[in-house]
Parts: sequence; C-alpha cells; structure tokens
Amino acid sequence: MARYRSFRDADWSLLATALIISALGVLQIYSATYGTKFQDAWWKQILWVVLGVGLLWVFTSIDYHTLLAQIPVLYTLGLTALVAVLVMGRLVFGSRRWIKIFGVNFQISEFVKLVIILLVARYLSELKRDGVGLRDLLKLGVLVIIPAALVMYQPDLGTGLTYLPVLAAGVLVAGLPWRYVAVIALAGALVLPAGWFFLKDYQKARLVTFLDPSRDPRGAGYQVIQSKIAVGDGGMWGRGVTRGTQTQLRFLPVPHTDFIFSAFAEEHGFVGVVVVLGLYFLLLMQIVQNAQMAPDRAGMYICMGVAALLLFHLLVNAGMVVGIMPVTGIPLPLMSSGGSNTFSVFMMLGLVNNVRLRRFSA
Amino acid sequence: MPETQPTKRLRWLLWSLLAWTALIVVRLAWLQVVKHDELVSLARQQQQKTVEIPAARGTIFDRTGQPLAKTLPAESINVNPLKIPDPGVAADLLSRVLDLDRRTTFSRIVAAKARKTGFLWIKRKVSGEEAARVRSLKLDWVEFRAETRRYYPHGRLAAHVLGATGMTSREDIVEHGSAGLELSFDEELSGRPGLARVYKDVHQNAYDMQVTRPPEPGANLTLTIDPNLQYDAEQALAAAAVRAHARTGSLVALNPVTGEVLAMANYPAFDPNVPPRRGESLDARSNLAVATPFEPGSVFKVITLAAALETTKLTPDTMINCGNGTIKLAGRVIHDHDRYASLSMADVLAKSSNIGAIQIGLKVGEEKLYEYVRRFGFGRKTDIDLPGESAGVLRRLRDWQPSSIGSVAMGHEISATSIQLALAGAIVANGGLHVKPRLILKRQKAGGAEIIEPQEKPERVIAPETAIKMRQMMEGVVLRGTGKRAALKGYTSGGKTGSAQIYDFKAHAYTHSYNASFMGFAPVNNPQIVVAVTLVGTTGVGTGFGGAVAAPVFREVAMPALRMLDVPKDLPETTTLISSAKTNENDLAIAGLGTPPPGISESAHAVKPMREQAVSSVTTKPPVQGGSSVARSGEPANDLALNRRPFFDTKERVSLARETPSLARAAGPTVPDFRGMTLRGVLEESAATRLPVQVTGDGMARNQDPPPGSALLPGMRVRVQFAR
Repeated sequence: MARYRSFRDADWSLLATALIISALGVLQIYSATYGTKFQDAWWKQILWVVLGVGLLWVFTSIDYHTLLAQIPVLYTLGLTALVAVLVMGRLVFGSRRWIKIFGVNFQISEFVKLVIILLVARYLSELKRDGVGLRDLLKLGVLVIIPAALVMYQPDLGTGLTYLPVLAAGVLVAGLPWRYVAVIALAGALVLPAGWFFLKDYQKARLVTFLDPSRDPRGAGYQVIQSKIAVGDGGMWGRGVTRGTQTQLRFLPVPHTDFIFSAFAEEHGFVGVVVVLGLYFLLLMQIVQNAQMAPDRAGMYICMGVAALLLFHLLVNAGMVVGIMPVTGIPLPLMSSGGSNTFSVFMMLGLVNNVRLRRFSA
Repeated sequence: MPETQPTKRLRWLLWSLLAWTALIVVRLAWLQVVKHDELVSLARQQQQKTVEIPAARGTIFDRTGQPLAKTLPAESINVNPLKIPDPGVAADLLSRVLDLDRRTTFSRIVAAKARKTGFLWIKRKVSGEEAARVRSLKLDWVEFRAETRRYYPHGRLAAHVLGATGMTSREDIVEHGSAGLELSFDEELSGRPGLARVYKDVHQNAYDMQVTRPPEPGANLTLTIDPNLQYDAEQALAAAAVRAHARTGSLVALNPVTGEVLAMANYPAFDPNVPPRRGESLDARSNLAVATPFEPGSVFKVITLAAALETTKLTPDTMINCGNGTIKLAGRVIHDHDRYASLSMADVLAKSSNIGAIQIGLKVGEEKLYEYVRRFGFGRKTDIDLPGESAGVLRRLRDWQPSSIGSVAMGHEISATSIQLALAGAIVANGGLHVKPRLILKRQKAGGAEIIEPQEKPERVIAPETAIKMRQMMEGVVLRGTGKRAALKGYTSGGKTGSAQIYDFKAHAYTHSYNASFMGFAPVNNPQIVVAVTLVGTTGVGTGFGGAVAAPVFREVAMPALRMLDVPKDLPETTTLISSAKTNENDLAIAGLGTPPPGISESAHAVKPMREQAVSSVTTKPPVQGGSSVARSGEPANDLALNRRPFFDTKERVSLARETPSLARAAGPTVPDFRGMTLRGVLEESAATRLPVQVTGDGMARNQDPPPGSALLPGMRVRVQFAR
C-alpha cells in the first residue's frame, strides 16, 4: 500500500463547516451562561475545540486499518472502562457517567462511540457473503447492545441509544434483507410512536421520567414547555445575543448544554436556526460523500457510522427542543458545551478524514 | 466496488432522514413563526409581573394648615422561609429583636416553609430602631420593604372626624380608610397607584424593573376643623361626661353662616394610631355626632315655637295656658316638671314648660309641625362628608298617634343627631337658612391647584324676622331660664336646654338616666358660632339635666371660639350674669360641682395654655380647672397610656424568671463578657446560656451591666449597650 498522504488532500471544507458550527456554539455558550456560575464555559469550550482539532489530526494520522485490526483490544478496553465508570464513577444527579483520569473528568461513553463505529465497520466489512443474515445481525447486535446497556445502566439512556443508529445504519447499508428491516421497523413503528402519540402530555412526561429519571429533577414536561416557549419567543429573527429572556432568566434548563439549540433558537430566531441546520446538513453531506468515495467497505462503514451517529444526535436533540422527541438529554454535537462530547465528535471527524486521505491507496 | 446495493440503501436512508429533518424544520417554523405571539405571551406571563407602586396617601390638614393625618415612610420586614436554615433560631432571633411571640413566629415560619412560599411578612411598619436592629443581624433571609404608614400626629384630636386607616388583609400594600374622612375620601386620598413591570427569573427573584406608570399621590384635604377649638371641645365634653357620669357624649361647633364645622367631638375618644385590638368594642370609634341619633327632648321646642311664629298668630308675648302642670291629650295625662298656670310664649321656652310647648304645638297643628320639623332638617341626612350618617327618626305623618303631636312638640317620638341639632340651631342663628355642613375647606390634587370647596346655596326655612324673634327668646333661656350656665363673659348668647329621659326599649319604661343636651349660639344679634352638645346617660334629677351638664360645655366651647374668631364683645366684661341670675335647681348643681361662679373667668383664662398644648401634645393632662372633679376627667385617658408599660414589664419579667428556674435557685449564673460582640452574637450567647438580656442601641456591644464575671441575681437582666 502506498502510504501517500497529502496535507492538501484533507477534507478542509469539512473541517471549516465543523469549526463554523463550533464557533456558533461558543457564542451561544457565552450568551447562555452570561452572568451565571458557568460564565467561563465559553472559553473552556474554545479550549475543547482546539484540543479536538488536535485529536482530529491524531485520528487522521493513524491508518484506520490499524485501528480496525485492534478492535478486540479496543472493545475490551471500552467495556472495562464502562464497568469501571459504574463502579467508581462520580455520582452526579443520581447517575455515574464520569470518571476522573489525571484530574480531568471523562465521560467514557462518548469515547466508546468510536469503538462501536469501528466495531460495526470491521464486522460488516468482513462478512463473506452479500447481505446480512439473521445470525450476523444477532451477533453484531449483542456486541453493540452490551456497551449500550452498560451506559443506560449509569443511567444515561440518551448516550446509550446513540450506539444503536450506528448498528442500524451499518446493517441497512450492508444489505439487511428487507423483510428483517420491515419486521424491525414495523415492530418499532407500532410499539414506540403508536404508544407515544396516544399518551397525554403528562403521561409522556411520566414515561420519559420513568425511562430516565436522573435527567429530570423537576418534571420532564416542564423542560419541554420551557424549551418550546423559548423557541417560539425567538420568532423569525430572534432576540439577539444575551437578549433571550427565557435563556437569561433561567427558565430554560441547561441552556448551554442539552438545550443550547433552544437558546440559539430564541436568540437567533427561525432564520438563525435554519442556517445552523443547513450547516449541519452540509457537514453530514460531506461525510456521506466521503463514505461514497471510501477506498473500501470498512472505510465506507466508518463514515456511515459517523454520519448516522451525528444525525441521530442532531435529530434527537433538535426534536427534543421542539417537542417532537422525548427529553433524553443528549448534546448537540459541536455546539453543546462539554469536553468529552466535543472530543469524540472531532475524533469521529478525524476518522472520516482518515478514510478520505486513504481513498487512492486501496 | 460492488457498491450498487449499498448506495441504493444509502439513498433510502438519506431520504427518510431528510424527511425527519424537514419535520423538525416545519415544527420550528410552526413554533417560531405561526405560534410566535402566543409563545411570547406565555414567556412574558412567567417572566413578568405587573406590580403596583403604592401612591403616597394625601395629607389631611386642619384649617390652620397643620397636618392632622399624614403618611410617613415605614419599613416592613419579611423573610424568605425557604432560605431559613433553622426556623427555631430564626424565630428566636426575630421574636427577640422585634418583640414578637416566639411560638407564633416559629409556627408561621414552619407553615410557610411547608407551603414552599418564598415570602412571609414578619412585622409590618416597624420602627426605625427595630429595622436597624434586624439589619445589624445581617441575615440573608431577611428582606426589608419600604412602605408607608399613616400617622396622626395629634393622636386623639379629631379622631372621629379623621377616622382611621387599616389594611384589610396581610397582602395589602397600602392602607385604606376604614372610618371617618379617611373612608369617605379614600379614593381621593389614596391617589392612583403606579404600575411597574418586574422581570423575574425562574427562582422568582426580581431581575429588573420598569415603571410603566408613575404613582399619582393622593390629594391633600384641608378641613374646616380648628385644632384649638377641637381640643377645647374634646376636653370640655370629656370633663362634662365624667362629671355627669354620662356614657357617651357628642358635640358639634359650627359657623352658622357657612356651615363650616369648626369642631366635632365625641366621648369616649380613641387614638387612630392604635389599631383596634381583637375583640375590642368599637363603640369608642363611632362618630356619635353624626351616627347615633337620640331623643332631643326640650331642645326641640325651638322648632315648635319657630313653627308657631310662622304659622300662627302667636307672638313671644302671647300668654299660653299651662294648665297648672297637667294636660290631657288624646286620653293621656301629661305632667309638667313645674306647675305653671300660664306663661308667655317666651317663658314657655325659657322655663321649658312641656304643657306650654304642647299647647303651642296643638295650635300649629300636626301637618304644619311635621312640615317645619322636616324643613329644619330632621329625619333626613345632612349630607356631611362622613360615612355612616344617620338620618334620625321622624315618623311619617300618617304613622303619628293622636298624642304624637304633643310628644313631637317637646322633642319626643323623634330622634336626631348632634349635627342635625347644630344645623337646626344654625337656622335660627343665621336668619333662617338651612346650610349644608362643611368639613372640607379645600382640596389639592398632587401638583394641582387648591380647589376651594364651593358652598351650596342654602335653602330658606324660616323668615329672618322669625329667626330674630327666636334668637331673642333663646337668649331668654340663658338669661332667666334653664340655660343660665350657658352665659358667656363679654358676649350675649342664646340657646335651649334639653333633658330627655332615656327610654329602655327592652323594659318598655323610661329609665332614670337622661339625654342632656344644649343647643346654643353667640352672640345673639349676629351669631358667629353654634354649638350643640349632647351627653347620653347622665344621672340625677336636675344634676343630670341639660342645663346643668350640657350648658357649661357650650360655654367652655363658645368662649374660645368667639375669641378665636375675633368676634367683638357685645357685653361689658365686668357683667357676670350668673351671679345676678335667680337661683334655681341648676345652681345646686353648680355648688355640688364646687365651681363658684367666678370660676367662669378662671376657666376662660385656663383655656389659653390649653390651646397651646393642643398642638404640641394632646395626651397631656388638661390643666386643673376649678375643682378636683375636672382634674379627674383627664385620668382615664392617661391611665391607658401610662399603665400599659408597667403591665407588660412585669409580665415580661415573670416569664423570664420562669425561663430560668434552675438558675434562680442557685446563687446566680456568672455573667459572660458580651462586650465587643455583635447583636447577633449576644442574642445567640444569651439563648445558649439562657441568660435574660436587654439590649439597647445598635452596632457593637460596648457596655454591660452587671459587669462580666459577676453573678446575675434571679429576676435580673443583663443590660447590654450597643454603639457604633
């Protein structure tokens, strides 16, 4: 394999899109935490983004085939770390998600995402025949669900769920027979939304509270209502930076992390939101383009996994903000304040770039 | 690369996810564009609160321009129960510093905590010293709110006219009038509260405030009340009421021409600065002069005679058959208090002959008598600017019994208020016009010009000649009749006494107590002042009558009034009418009271210093005037004020002694060194050691008594002096 890599060949437009979104995120974090005890979150976020770009480069440099070869080790390491979090993690609001390494709190589940993406990519790329059989589906499913379950047990339902779209996107693209897809989709479509739309608001809130009590100290309904009010308050053009009353008067819960999209919607209005969604769309399209140009199936699965995971984050978070998805509390990639998530997103983008740089070497 | 199937799948996936994204965008458009206004109003609803900014209540001035009721800034103390770490300690501190009941305070805080309320009033309108003490505790859960407090600088003076203010509920921001002018002019005095929009965060903390409408202060009122005359009237009335053992009394002094009420007094009185205690009888707070009618009795003969002068051929000199003291009327035999064969009409009034009055009444006839009684203002309200006015009782003509004409002619089967009597007197005094009583001289809206209240056109009741004749006859009452004690030094005066036995409606019998009244004016030829006095529940035949009890009050009020109005004297100063007057049963009353006739001049001089005191302090003891009986009259009021302190002191000591039974048995605990500690420290220390502490001042503890290290004897307290 010719290991020709050029600086020039890196996906600069992808990085630019990511950095623009990150910059909007920093601005919104600044505004949302203005005058609160989280006041310094914005420059911390800048630090996370800078470090994230460094990690992106690291994950671009190591050939993804090398990483795929180490999957058993990485997977075992990931599981061990997740168990360690459960045993000795820091208890915050009734859940153990963080573990302290060298004085820094890491959210292990964020980094396990990369392992899942690589795991699914390797498993599906090594399939001997075309299409995914039931045995493969079950085997891969179990491999993915074990870490997901460990995360949900923290409890952190939202992050645990993010592992599943990687699996779903992978098997779908790999050629899961339509009948399986139909069966799974039917089951899901019947059980989840049917149940969901027949429930009343407070029951929805209760259901969500039941599924994920730690996210919701004051009633899930309250958060959704406040978020909807904030979004609506923004109107067409928004209230302006640090002018969003819902955000500034703290009616909006966690406006710099999970509900940053609604804070953004209040301060920048429908126009601002559409611009941001457009940027995300651009980002995802660039990733999908890389998937299509991938040198091998493994590379394609990696890019697809990244795209599926980010899209899932985006849809669930934005859906939650506008009230069409339950409050699960997963961050908006690149915008929400927080180190672990920022790092993992840039690492994923690094993997995408990694695949791109090796597209001529196959 | 066999990518055909995966790419197809990929496209599928992308389309479905794009649909999801589209759904989110549609939803965003729905919330941000379509439902924007609705959600904005929802946001404002939870973020903003419109609060009222209380407007300053207008000041009430007397006619000399001195304030009778004004609004002072006051601070109120509230707590945030949710921030209180320990209700026990909080209740301890607050009850000690603010003189509150610890147990009630504690249970209120606990209850508020349980309700999750972030706001609880602890004490409204505290003194500056109390506020400073709480401040020095530096507690982060205590808040101070600027409020206003209604203050009556002269205490009891004109209390019934002014009324009182109060808050109907704990949540009220401003006081509203509950009685008197404070009630009837509440709207004007209150002004209009301003509005402010308060932005609050999710924890209900105010974040920003924007005044959307500034408050409009209330209008100022200037009353017709003269403070000095009011003081004289109150003192004279109270003294007379005590002297005659009257239950209640009322007095109205007014200008007969303009209807301006110069004084309106009631007995008993109250201090509007002190809110009524729970269960306290509100009788003392009722403005009897306008609210409580009574049977006027012989005073009413003035109306009967005036009607007779106008409607019959009778003249003051016409002899009236007085039937030797008895008359038979519609089957009823009526006895007179004295047996007169016949009297001139003037003497019927002077001697207050009942039979004579009945004979005159019969000549007038039912219809004419009723008409004149009506025109003199009885049985209808005077429309004075005071709440709760009574119209009195005047039966309609068709409800009259055959004997009613006799009763009405001498002031029975009818009831009237003192203000009605005063206005009836004014009709005679001013030449026959029924004027409207006025309490408001002028009013001034905040920032506006003073508006002088226009005087309503008076209505004519009797002809001027009739009024003149009546005045002369009424002068006769003072000169040679039942009202000799109403004679003034240096001025002529006229009037009419009245003594009606009080009818007990439960027992259906007349009691041995009386409504003693006097209605009079001075000087006779050009009356400048009319005074109506009524004392209810006087006892003693003769000594409880109007001539003995009420007429002196007239004198004591009319004299300073005439001086105040600068009315030229129309009698030589040396003339003492009383000494030349024929002794009658009323003189016995004078002797019994130990006031010799020259005492009039004494009392007249004594009035001067009294008036000066009226402005400075009303609760001071009135100067001793003539006899011990008068001096005694001031006591009940002072007793109330003076006795309260020692009573509470002893109680406090008892409870403190009970708190420390074990210490009391021992030789006494050692006093710690409080010096250099903060108020909070001292209170905590004293709570911990259970040592009773009395603190004064604020700042740091500088001095203490007993000194540190000495033993505290049972019942003693450690006095700690604070200073900055």
